[in-house]
Amino acid sequence: MRTPPAVAVGQAGRDDRWHRRAARRVAASSAAQASAAIFLVMRRMRAPLIVLIGIFAISVLGLTLIPGQDGEGRPWRMGFFDAFYIMSYTASTIGFGEIPHPFTYNQRMWVTISIYLTVVGWAYAIGSLLSLLQDRAFRQALALQHFTRKVARLREPFVLIAGYGRTGELLGHSLDALGRQFVVLDRDPERIDALELDSYHADVPGLPADARDPGHLAVAGLDHPACEAVVALTNDEEANLAVVMAAALLRPELPVIARVTSRALEERMRAFGGPSTVNPFDRFGDHLGLALRAPASYQLLTWLESGPGAELPARGSPPRTGHWIVCGYGRLGRELTADLRAEGLEVTVVEPRAAGDEDDDLVVGDPAEPDVLRQVDLVRSVGFVAGTDNDTTNLSLVAAARRGNPSLFIGARQNQAANAPLFAAMEVDALLVPSEVIAHEVYAQLATPLLWRFLREMPARGDAWAAEVIDRLTALCGERLEALWKVRLSPEDAPALPGWLASGRATLGDLMRNPEDREQPLHAVVLLVLRGHEATVAPEPDFVLAVGDELLLAGWGAARRALEIVLEVDAVREYVVTGRRVPSSWIWRRLSPAGRTAGTTEGRTAEPADR
Amino acid sequence: MNLEKVVFGFFVLLAATLNFGFFIGDIDDPVLHNPYELFAAVVVNLIATVLKFGDRTQIGAVHLATSLVADLQLIGAALMYGYAVYVSSAGMTAGWTASVVSLSGGALLANLVSVVLLVVETVSFHRR
Repeated sequence: MRTPPAVAVGQAGRDDRWHRRAARRVAASSAAQASAAIFLVMRRMRAPLIVLIGIFAISVLGLTLIPGQDGEGRPWRMGFFDAFYIMSYTASTIGFGEIPHPFTYNQRMWVTISIYLTVVGWAYAIGSLLSLLQDRAFRQALALQHFTRKVARLREPFVLIAGYGRTGELLGHSLDALGRQFVVLDRDPERIDALELDSYHADVPGLPADARDPGHLAVAGLDHPACEAVVALTNDEEANLAVVMAAALLRPELPVIARVTSRALEERMRAFGGPSTVNPFDRFGDHLGLALRAPASYQLLTWLESGPGAELPARGSPPRTGHWIVCGYGRLGRELTADLRAEGLEVTVVEPRAAGDEDDDLVVGDPAEPDVLRQVDLVRSVGFVAGTDNDTTNLSLVAAARRGNPSLFIGARQNQAANAPLFAAMEVDALLVPSEVIAHEVYAQLATPLLWRFLREMPARGDAWAAEVIDRLTALCGERLEALWKVRLSPEDAPALPGWLASGRATLGDLMRNPEDREQPLHAVVLLVLRGHEATVAPEPDFVLAVGDELLLAGWGAARRALEIVLEVDAVREYVVTGRRVPSSWIWRRLSPAGRTAGTTEGRTAEPADR
Repeated sequence: MNLEKVVFGFFVLLAATLNFGFFIGDIDDPVLHNPYELFAAVVVNLIATVLKFGDRTQIGAVHLATSLVADLQLIGAALMYGYAVYVSSAGMTAGWTASVVSLSGGALLANLVSVVLLVVETVSFHRR
């Protein structure tokens, strides 16, 4: 970290403690804010309550002091209990009548006065209480307390998402599909309402609060021991920087992922312990570059990044040579032009406003004008990217470019989620949706460290290799990616395996069989095996497994459950690996030692072990 | 002069004095313990409790706690009195009187703590 290694360990320990304490203080101050509103409510209820007590006391006292008569006309005084009883039912407008004896006129006059007094007192008290319950500050305080309690009660690891826009929503659904818990902060109360209406499996705590306030982050679980990562996805770059800063200072050991669109801000974020930043325009440029070089690698990348349930995307074939036109020289245009030129392509940029920096191939003019498109030689071009920040402009640019040259490879940027059907109808070859790019990238980093590792190592393997992996995946699991999960072959997680793994003949091919019928393959593919720090990408069936390996698998949900059984139940593992049926219950194992030694033939004819 | 402090001090002190007035006298002699005084003590104690609502300081919290204790004991005393007069056939016997008065004695202790707190608060307040 930032401290040189020469500094004593005690220093680091003290640092750590300091961070802990700072985080706790932040949380405490925020909780105090929440209770402040409750105190305010109690303070405001003082006057109505005192008025009510006073009115009751006067009415009751009056009733006990006024002389009355009993049934036979003898003088009689009402006791405190009778008086309180009468006032209680009179004040609450129930009115049981005159008990225990009919009232005298004196008493009736007093009761008449008391009725008006007490009704006014009740109305005042109840009215104040109701208006306080609708008070905005009070409701916010209640929501904050509710949220704080929910977050504090989380026991499983969770991700803290600051900013629940379109990106946050996509990421949330992917994480939820993986069964991961997360907590949401967003400044806009409407987005938090949307979160509550959304259909998540888990109960997702959400708070309408500004993520720039470290107190809110702390309440949302920044200092919670189960918090495993912080993701800053707000529209506001400054707010994202504030989240990165708060996380780096209060919980330096937490991984932080931030959305960023400008290089300058990326640099400022890097000053804080090196968070992982996701720049959608940069990523789109990289992806387009990868798509140019290796269409199959790109296809595999987008498929795995899209999260559980994604369909296999079509394999595009962008032209590798020729002339490209990029419309819009904003943040996307710059990144893209640089990436395309790095691939050795010729690029002409069309931009309505003259940019400050000089570029050889910059045509200044409105790309919607026919003259401008003629000037850039649309007919001899191979690729066209409509990358402005206005969806209407982009759509009309795509239409104009298609009319000028129907064989163009078209890329476009979609800014608003609402316009997705229009872009889909346009059948654009490469579509950039910044919110989706960010959500997919963050998902890949958070899903499991193994997936991130796989995606990082994959492009280097080349296109043919990626195509083969895709073929293997589609052959076994179909064109829908149902589940992506991690298995650790440790004695704790796979109690049925260690003996077999130690034999040195434990090949992957033997393990990946269907426990119902071992001739059938398990509908899952091992994408990566991690042993220590060494990763093997897409291992072959003859790969020899060892204790402690971590496997990343993609396949059917049913395959996942089947594999779990293989890893846990000795008898099933024995059948899958060797084809022998062995009894699984304790009594049958005691009774049939002969069956085990007699070899495979008898084992096969034995009754299938019940599980 | 702060009117809020005057009202606050008035009710806290009045709660204690009324309580004391009811408590003083032979513990089992019903003639010496006026039920109206008990009623007044209950009402004034309730008002004092509500006045202590919403104070966020530590001393305010202890104030509220002592008042709640006094309320609890005085309402208990009032309930016992009511039971003795209306439900039990024997009426206000020496035993019942002693129970009611001893409960109010407990409340008196809480009220005295309240008064001590009030005095401490006043003494530790520095006029600037």
